[in-house]
Amino acid sequence: MTEPAELAALSDADLAKRPFDELVAALQQVVQRLEAGNAGLEESIELYKQGLRLHGACDTRLQQAELTITELGRRGVTGAEPAEEA
Amino acid sequence: MSDDQPTLWDAVVAAEVVPDAPIAPAVRPAPRILRVSELNRRVRGLLDADAQLADVFVEGEVSQPSFPPSGHCFFTLKDANSQLRSVCFREQLEHATVRPMHGMNVICRGRVRAYEPQGTYQLYVETITPAGAGDLHARYEALRVQLAAAGLFDEGRKRPIARWPRRIGVVTSPVGAVWRDITNVLRRRYPMCELVLAPTVVQGVTAAPAIVRALQRLYAQPDLDTIILARGGGSLEDLWSFNDERVVRAIAESPVPIIVGVGHESDVTLADFAADLRAPTPSAAAELATPDATQMATILGRLRDRASAALMGWASQRRRLLDSERRALTGLAPDIDAARQRTADLVDRAGRAAGDRVQRRRMSLTGAGDSLRTLSPAATLERGYAVARTTDGRIVRDAGAVEPGDPLHVIVARGSVDARVEKTRPDADDELFS
Repeated sequence: MTEPAELAALSDADLAKRPFDELVAALQQVVQRLEAGNAGLEESIELYKQGLRLHGACDTRLQQAELTITELGRRGVTGAEPAEEA
Repeated sequence: MSDDQPTLWDAVVAAEVVPDAPIAPAVRPAPRILRVSELNRRVRGLLDADAQLADVFVEGEVSQPSFPPSGHCFFTLKDANSQLRSVCFREQLEHATVRPMHGMNVICRGRVRAYEPQGTYQLYVETITPAGAGDLHARYEALRVQLAAAGLFDEGRKRPIARWPRRIGVVTSPVGAVWRDITNVLRRRYPMCELVLAPTVVQGVTAAPAIVRALQRLYAQPDLDTIILARGGGSLEDLWSFNDERVVRAIAESPVPIIVGVGHESDVTLADFAADLRAPTPSAAAELATPDATQMATILGRLRDRASAALMGWASQRRRLLDSERRALTGLAPDIDAARQRTADLVDRAGRAAGDRVQRRRMSLTGAGDSLRTLSPAATLERGYAVARTTDGRIVRDAGAVEPGDPLHVIVARGSVDARVEKTRPDADDELFS
């Protein structure tokens, strides 16, 4: 599982490529760490910033998500056997 | 004349007090009037007594089956001219290999009985078999037993479905309502996943091998979390490829958890038994495969609120900590003064105590000197006493110890006197104080 700090440090474009559930899980982790209350001031603020960023990324994804559909066998050969790999 | 025998007079009175009473008809035997329940019980007895009705096979078309929450199934069996109420209780229904569907031709085995409360009679169904598919059905049953014995349907084989799938494989026909239903459900519920469609025909003699090929193409795909195998409703024959051994075995071999949603709720195929999860319909399969992201916005909002609350809580907790530490510090200050005071007091008292002790010692030393001086023989002599010694140096303490004429050496406070005993008086002891 990727550290929330690593995810939060990604660019918007890179962040958009990460799986949705990974972002949600990272956000959950940030919240849990904050709630544990044993981080210092700077660390707590940093965690909070990460949380906001992850939340924003999830929210954007939620608003803009479009189902991706791949159909096997439409590209390449139309034969009965598997024509391509992923 | 006895009192309790009705008399002619009684009859006359009765006629008088009920003036509208009709004139009694000519005497004839009174009809036996039955209660409704008595009649129904009698009919039931007749039916129960009929040995042929106790175990009967009936062929007909299922009409309007209903499945109330009790788990039983009520339906009507009919042919062109007649209808027969039928009921299949839950226990029998659970073991049935087909569920009654509207329009399905079946052969039911059971017994006919009357249902007294409603005054109806009906067929209590023990088994249901598709009519005209006897051979098909026998094959189904044989294969089911065989594959079950091979362990393909074991509960222990069922794997949990991924909660957050990223790639979902779908095996179905790309044309028609099923594929559209699945994509609609996923667009609404969980559009952040990727669908990989392995298209196949799902009907006819070529369907079974085609379905197997489509499944295997998906098995070759990397990173699939879940596979959905789906087909819409149809006749028993239409769905038959999902009872094909090749298909069932291919499902059991799936490297990822597989959800099978074939036909309607009432259709149970061998594919359903082999799946990790059975869905009653294709749409339900799509729902079972994904979390509901329509609630996700709420969940995300709640997470953000928790983060804010945690940060604020962090700050206020640290502030409380600081406050309590400051109070503790100010509370400590007077203690230091008091301690200083106490120390000073102690030093004072120690000084005083030491002085007192020296003084006391000095005073007791003086006393001791006085005592010593008092006890000294010199002081005794000074007070006027004398010490008399014989010539051999013994101190004379007893008058009887010397004789007249004995020389004595008498020591006084200053100097000494040589003397001689004149006379002894050993018995006189009060002379000193006389």
